[in-house]
Amino acid sequence: MHLLAQDLVNGILAGGILAVVALGFSLVWGIMNIINLAHGAFIMLGAYATYQLFTSWHIDPFLTIPISFVLLFTLGYLIQRFVINWVARAPVLTTFLLTFGLALLVVNIALFVWTGDTRGVSPSYAGANFSVGGVTVPWVKLFTLLAALLITGLMHLWLTRSKTGRAIRATAMDIGAAQLSGVRVTQIYAIVFGLGTGLAGVAGTLLSMSYAINPNMGDPFLIKGFVVCVLGGLGSVQGALIGGLAYGIVEAFATQLDVTIGTQHISGSGLQDAIALVVLLIVLIVRPRGIMGKAIA
Amino acid sequence: MKPPSAGSAQAAALRRIGLGGITGNPIAFLVVLGMMALLLAVPLTHNGYIEIVFRNILMYAAMAYGWNLIGGYTGYVSFGNVTFFGIGAYCSAVLAMRGVDNLFAYVALAMVVCALFAAIVGLPVLRLRGHYFGIATLGIALAVADIVANLDALGGTSGIALHQVDEAHFSVYYYAMWLVALGSMLGTYFIARSKLGYAFVAIRENEDAAAVLGISATRYKVTAWAISAMMAGAAGAIFAPANGFIDPSITFAVDSNVFPIVMTILGGIGTVAGPFIGALLLAGANELLQRSFVKAHTLFFGAMIVLIVLLLPRGLVWLFGLRGGVRTWVKSLSAFKA
Repeated sequence: MHLLAQDLVNGILAGGILAVVALGFSLVWGIMNIINLAHGAFIMLGAYATYQLFTSWHIDPFLTIPISFVLLFTLGYLIQRFVINWVARAPVLTTFLLTFGLALLVVNIALFVWTGDTRGVSPSYAGANFSVGGVTVPWVKLFTLLAALLITGLMHLWLTRSKTGRAIRATAMDIGAAQLSGVRVTQIYAIVFGLGTGLAGVAGTLLSMSYAINPNMGDPFLIKGFVVCVLGGLGSVQGALIGGLAYGIVEAFATQLDVTIGTQHISGSGLQDAIALVVLLIVLIVRPRGIMGKAIA
Repeated sequence: MKPPSAGSAQAAALRRIGLGGITGNPIAFLVVLGMMALLLAVPLTHNGYIEIVFRNILMYAAMAYGWNLIGGYTGYVSFGNVTFFGIGAYCSAVLAMRGVDNLFAYVALAMVVCALFAAIVGLPVLRLRGHYFGIATLGIALAVADIVANLDALGGTSGIALHQVDEAHFSVYYYAMWLVALGSMLGTYFIARSKLGYAFVAIRENEDAAAVLGISATRYKVTAWAISAMMAGAAGAIFAPANGFIDPSITFAVDSNVFPIVMTILGGIGTVAGPFIGALLLAGANELLQRSFVKAHTLFFGAMIVLIVLLLPRGLVWLFGLRGGVRTWVKSLSAFKA
């Protein structure tokens, strides 16, 4: 029994980070209709930002969250303003291709700066954990989850309450009407893309404490973010959170599965991704617009 | 800032420049056919390296044509076409393990299995629209790769060695790949001009309107995906014996999934010439850069893609239809600006 409880806890802990991974990706996709293939590369930059700050100035990794957000926000803002903006209204596949190129550029620049060596961020409390009723919880992962929840909550408040947040949602609903009401779309796009990359940076910072850091570390998270954001519903903050948690839990439970067909033995840990993706397929077929998605008009 | 209406009318006009008919620009198609004819001479160089480079270009071209049919013509962006390439490769491997040594049998089995798989999986998945279809296909691709990696009967992660690649018959694989690429190209051309092609485009432009006009959307979507699967499957079926060895990480590689998409968009999506031009340019440039810059080649590759998108957002084929020279081109640069 406590094995299942442990899986549930592991799933929730992993799902919190996945929610932040998916959040920025989902905002950019939902609001600007850009599938940002460079999201994984920005996650990687966030992780390296934390790594540099931690190793060079001994700043606690959790305190680097705002720094990595600001750095990546600036980078994203500039990239949208001076590069992507030229094709912002092109069909979705054009920007898809552009961000593919950007991802290659960023990853390879990182390879030059930090080389391909695997690095890690391990503060003094890295290995510490506590147990509740036989379930082990590492402190780092718990704080990561709390940080993820806090960031998701703040994002939700900002998007619904602030003036800029409302302008962003208006742009997503009807770009022409938003323009007529005085919303400067170019500026809004740059802010949204900045937010997307900023959140990727935060996700990278959170990941840096539990995963190995190297220039290609973003790739699996790009795919997971992709899946989580569709699972939850495009452009929705709550959707990213629920999708992230759901994905994390399904993935954790999948490790416990063991299938034997004839002489062929398949262990669940090898099929973790496959099982999570089959669940995704079923969810999509039952609810084609995601868990939190709007009903089809 | 300009009033939005005037700006967008001008931009919309600019966006329409240089677009051909349903098969794209006819001159581009003729040029591509000519290039295909030239590629037939590659094995005469008796240079194994060059032959492999061009065989890979043809392989990517066939996969790009497959993707173009579902993603470009029908408007359903698949992120899972590598599955069919992989299934095709494993069809050959399974036949080879049973002692069958016949390329035609490999390709035929791969095409049948891929078409069936696409049809069965397509029925539920093609009900999903837009991004949701894309994600579902990505899920299929990753899940199939995972499952194959866990099946001992298919060699698991350690893969299957088919046979020693035979020096004397090396070029057979090249010609076979050439035929598959040509078949995919001509297939696309004739499908695009037939009722089938117009139904695909109608679904892409407005699925509901197409349904009102009496086009059975599901039937045509499944057909498009099945044909698309056959092209990728045939390429995979030849790749396996040509390479002599396959495993899940080679046959279901992320690169083989993304490259054909990138090539099609770069060349010109929804055209007959586009996928080939994209494959030739991208795979060729990748190879050249790899030889010239050992460390920085991917960096230049990324920079090249970014520049092409910014300078030719419509794809390279668009250049063939450009009238009015540099001035029109410069004007068109801001067509997609926000």
